[in-house]
Amino acid sequence: MSDELIELEEEEFTSQLTAPVLKRIGGLLLPHWKWVVGFFFTIAIVSGLDAYFTYVNKQFIDEGILLGDKVRLMELATIYGSFIVLQAAAVFTFIYLAGVLGERIQYDLRKMLFNHLQDLSLSYYAQNAVGRLIARVTSDTGRVSDLLTWGIVDTTWAAMNIISSTIFMAIINWRLALIVLTIIPVMAYVAIEFRKKILAEFRVSRRANSKITGAFNESFQGVRVTKALGREDANTHEFQGLTTKMYNASYRAAWLSALFLPTVQIIAALALGIIVGYGGNQISVGLMTIGGIQAFVSYLTFMMWPIQDLARVYAEMQHSIASAERIFKLVDTPPEVHNRSGAIEAKTLLGEIEFDHVDFFYEDRKSVLTDFTLKVNPGEMIALVGPTGGGKSTIVNLLCRFYEPSKGVIRINGVDYMDYKLESIHNKIGIVLQTPHLFSGTVRDNIRYGRLEASDAEVVEAAKIAGAHDFIVTLEKGYEQNVGESGNLLSVGQKQLISLARAVLAKPELFIMDEATSSVDTLTESLIQRGMEALMKGRTSFVIAHRLSTIRRANRILVIEDGHIAEGGTHAELLRKRGHYYRLYTQQFRHQLEVAYGVVDEDAPVEGIEGESREGVTADSIMLKREKVAEEPTAAD
Amino acid sequence: MTTLQPAHEPSLTFDFRPTLQENRLKGLWQMMSDYRMSYIAATIALAISALSKTFTYLLLQFFADDVLAKGTYIGGTLTTSMIWIAAGFVGLASLEGAFAFLSGRLAAYTAEGITRRLRDFLFDHIQRLNFSYHATTPTGDLIERVTSDVDALRRFFSEQAIGVGRIILLFVINFIAIYNLNAELAWVSIVVIPLILVVSLWFFKKVTKAYEEYQAQEAVLSTTLQENLTGVRVVKAFARQDYEKKKFEKDNWGKYLKGKILLFMHSMFWPLSDIVLGFQMLFGFVYGATMAIDGEITVGTYIAYVGLVVWLIWPIRNLGRIIVSTSTGMVSYARLMELVKQQREPLFDGKYQPTGPARGELQFEDVSFMYSDGKSDVLKSVSFHAKPGQAIALLGSTGSGKTSLVNLLPRFHEYTGGRILLDGVELKDYSRSYLRKQIGIVEQEPFLFSRSIRENISYGVGRDVSQEEIERAAKAAAVHDVIIGFPDGYDTLVGEKGVTLSGGQKQRVAIARTLLKNPSILIFDDSTSAVDTETEAEIRSALNELMQNRTTFIIAHRIQSVMIADLILVLDKGEVVQMGTHAELLKDTNGMYRRIYDIQTKIDSELEMEIARVN
Repeated sequence: MSDELIELEEEEFTSQLTAPVLKRIGGLLLPHWKWVVGFFFTIAIVSGLDAYFTYVNKQFIDEGILLGDKVRLMELATIYGSFIVLQAAAVFTFIYLAGVLGERIQYDLRKMLFNHLQDLSLSYYAQNAVGRLIARVTSDTGRVSDLLTWGIVDTTWAAMNIISSTIFMAIINWRLALIVLTIIPVMAYVAIEFRKKILAEFRVSRRANSKITGAFNESFQGVRVTKALGREDANTHEFQGLTTKMYNASYRAAWLSALFLPTVQIIAALALGIIVGYGGNQISVGLMTIGGIQAFVSYLTFMMWPIQDLARVYAEMQHSIASAERIFKLVDTPPEVHNRSGAIEAKTLLGEIEFDHVDFFYEDRKSVLTDFTLKVNPGEMIALVGPTGGGKSTIVNLLCRFYEPSKGVIRINGVDYMDYKLESIHNKIGIVLQTPHLFSGTVRDNIRYGRLEASDAEVVEAAKIAGAHDFIVTLEKGYEQNVGESGNLLSVGQKQLISLARAVLAKPELFIMDEATSSVDTLTESLIQRGMEALMKGRTSFVIAHRLSTIRRANRILVIEDGHIAEGGTHAELLRKRGHYYRLYTQQFRHQLEVAYGVVDEDAPVEGIEGESREGVTADSIMLKREKVAEEPTAAD
Repeated sequence: MTTLQPAHEPSLTFDFRPTLQENRLKGLWQMMSDYRMSYIAATIALAISALSKTFTYLLLQFFADDVLAKGTYIGGTLTTSMIWIAAGFVGLASLEGAFAFLSGRLAAYTAEGITRRLRDFLFDHIQRLNFSYHATTPTGDLIERVTSDVDALRRFFSEQAIGVGRIILLFVINFIAIYNLNAELAWVSIVVIPLILVVSLWFFKKVTKAYEEYQAQEAVLSTTLQENLTGVRVVKAFARQDYEKKKFEKDNWGKYLKGKILLFMHSMFWPLSDIVLGFQMLFGFVYGATMAIDGEITVGTYIAYVGLVVWLIWPIRNLGRIIVSTSTGMVSYARLMELVKQQREPLFDGKYQPTGPARGELQFEDVSFMYSDGKSDVLKSVSFHAKPGQAIALLGSTGSGKTSLVNLLPRFHEYTGGRILLDGVELKDYSRSYLRKQIGIVEQEPFLFSRSIRENISYGVGRDVSQEEIERAAKAAAVHDVIIGFPDGYDTLVGEKGVTLSGGQKQRVAIARTLLKNPSILIFDDSTSAVDTETEAEIRSALNELMQNRTTFIIAHRIQSVMIADLILVLDKGEVVQMGTHAELLKDTNGMYRRIYDIQTKIDSELEMEIARVN
């Protein structure tokens, strides 16, 4: 599901304000209460003055013009002028306070969420799509902070404006003010209903919009098929169905918006009609002044703005509260894997590692690993092979204690590893993944991620061991080269080498390689082999791999299928059995010879085997392959 | 020579190509054709709405001066006059509201209408652009244009253009109204307008820049967040949580600071402009009130003035904001026009328009091909003859020109030398549309659409297909059993929301799709490697079914894929180095075919040896 769809889906949720949520939301404001008080009072001043200016205008007419009193006029003008300045000062204050506080609350919430996310276990990430978590940190925080700052500002301004206007109207003529008072709830009700409808229509149109984007995307990617099948007209026709839906929804939303203010205004005009008709008659008996009528016209004409603001805040509030609840829910989730009380420091991982009848299942209880038992001696190299979803990655995740066993025990040096401190285990593990993950920044930054205090020389040394140095120095800026977002400026093979160097630098006691060099070309692979062998000496390692050279080197090979060990033994033992491993191996072997001889393209998809693996087997075949490459033109085929 | 009238492209959508203009405003105006009347009507409705408001204040003037001061009653008494005046207020407000609504609705009709046909056009247009354009343009760039830029244009029509119109109308109408009340008063009311306009333009340009910086920092923060969350295993494996927290803190705080700058700018601009406009208003009030006391204007005039001047002055402040935002629409127009002016591939142009299906006889005579950058020949003087129903195999390594050769047949690319004859007529005389109907392509990794398997199979047929027909095709393609194994059978969705098919399954669905299309010529990419024997047998039986009575081109790396062919072309660097049947080619012991054959034999024996070694 795309991030946009996730956001749309979540926006559908609304929630009522309950006391506990209110208390918690209020708690976010507590540390900044001075700011809140500040903008609350200044916006109230702004709003009250808005109403007062209209009243002064009335006084201009009634006390100045009608009485012909120029002195009074100048007096009023002085008051008006000083209030303009006062109001401007208040406007400055509330925009600054509310705005900056809004940014501050967003900052606080993002920090709180991010820090908590760092502590949550991998299982949480497995259950929650990254897109959802990002929406939590970005859009949900924005929505909550908007409610807490601009929501309060708008509500205060609107409420204060309605109240102070009504007071001034009552001062002018209380009977007519009563008419206004009865009409306000009607206006508010209509406005809120409109707002809700408009909001709902906008959602429909955004949904349609994201479908259109999807259709565009697919059309661009499948353009070859479209052309080959002559589907252009049919595609356009289908697409028009989508744009028609979009058109209907957004047109409806747009004209509903256009209808909204006029409707509220006409309701106000009805009240105004009554007031003018009634008030005009009262002028003759001295109960009303001409300035008073003018003031009522102004008050009622501008009454729609506070009403509109109230309606907007109210309609959006329910969605903001749903956002707040999602944020709180995330923050309240305890990390599944955490340090037990009395956990001790793991001094070393170089000892016997034992999986003792380990079961693992996710929350849905679907078993991933059943009754898994394995003893590994220090310094041993274990190769895990088998189909996707068989459980290889789960074994590695359990070993790293990213997950903990649902049943059974994992022991390191004879001690249940749950009695160790998490950090003391993680500190001693080096892990290299098939889809290597790099961070924005330079090559050097990325390698140094393995050991933050490492010197530049150590970084280079690690890169040399990992076989990354040679390509790094060919980069324009060498080690200072920027790798781009998620390392996307580098090839997958290059990323794998850098993540390998990163793990080497960490000097781990336990090495885990999950298809670590699957995208490295054969020549480089053979070059880094020796370095890696030296590195693995005296270290325990778990390797998930398809490269035969890597697998063959292992002390033991385990074929993992359906959550258990289907076959185990050395390379020779397993081949003799002519079982799972034999089938996997022959297929693989044939493929890599074909690649080596240049019969098939190295990038051709390999059917039936998980992942992609390619390799030159012998020095001869590598040479042969290189000759072939030299002969071949590189033009696109 | 008589030129056959080329069939016309169906005009499914409004054609935006004639709207291309160097001048962007002119171009936007061209784009509005058919909608101009409704947009003009929207503007007129806006004017009527604004006028109604203006008349509300003039009614107030009438009430103060004529009814109250002079005692000119309508209907005889004050009470009846008041009823008429009250009705006038309500009537004018209704008029104002109704026309404001009408204007909004017409503007929405215009903006949404133009947007819809622009989207339709772009969708249709882009899929008709030629192959090399698609090969060189990243999908992300196209998506950006058809979403963000289209939306920027929508906002231009729905908010910005009409917003500028609204403010100008309000200004003009109310200025004229005040001018008619008293010219002197009108002039003193707009003293600061030029100033506020210039300042707001300057400010909003600045603020737009600050906002861009704020958004850039937000993008940095998002990247950090995204990288952290997707790389959670790395973070945990190296126990780098604290490091990550610090990094996020830096970006997070950076966004806070950028936001602060933005807010400071806003908190300066709005109150300062409040002061300037506030004093302008006050100046007008005092000036007007003094005139009223001195008897130069009536009380009613003053009252009307007080109401009108609000609509004269305050909207101007927003004019700067809207004018600055229109620049986004202008930039987007230019970006979209870059796309619109790209050349389409003519689908229906062709001198020869046969009515029936092709027989499938193909003759290559000295054909060569190079890409338009003209660097090197991809194909060099290729000549051969394929009789209807024959199987032609193309054998060669990557870059030898196999795919380029078959891409010439549906005219995805045009050969640059020699000629290709289909049933005796040169390929360039056929329309692309006809050729593509005659040719079926099964790619190595076929693209399937994220819709049901049924729809994918019937995708290229262009007519209603019965379930029975679809199943027959699926059975022949040896994929029926796989499909009915899925929970929703033929209704199972392919892709993200449904099942993920393996490469072999995709290829067989594509075979079923091609079987239904029933082409005379077939192109089959058989370069998949290391398929397990079972899958391979299935694909092969499906392929045999497909090859019946069709001229077939098989692209392959391996001997076993090409052995059965009637004619094997061995390609190397764009040239046919050997040609013949399997038996013929094997005889040439120095030939490339023989070399490949020997390598494969060697592989088999090496495998045997490897197994033997461990035993």
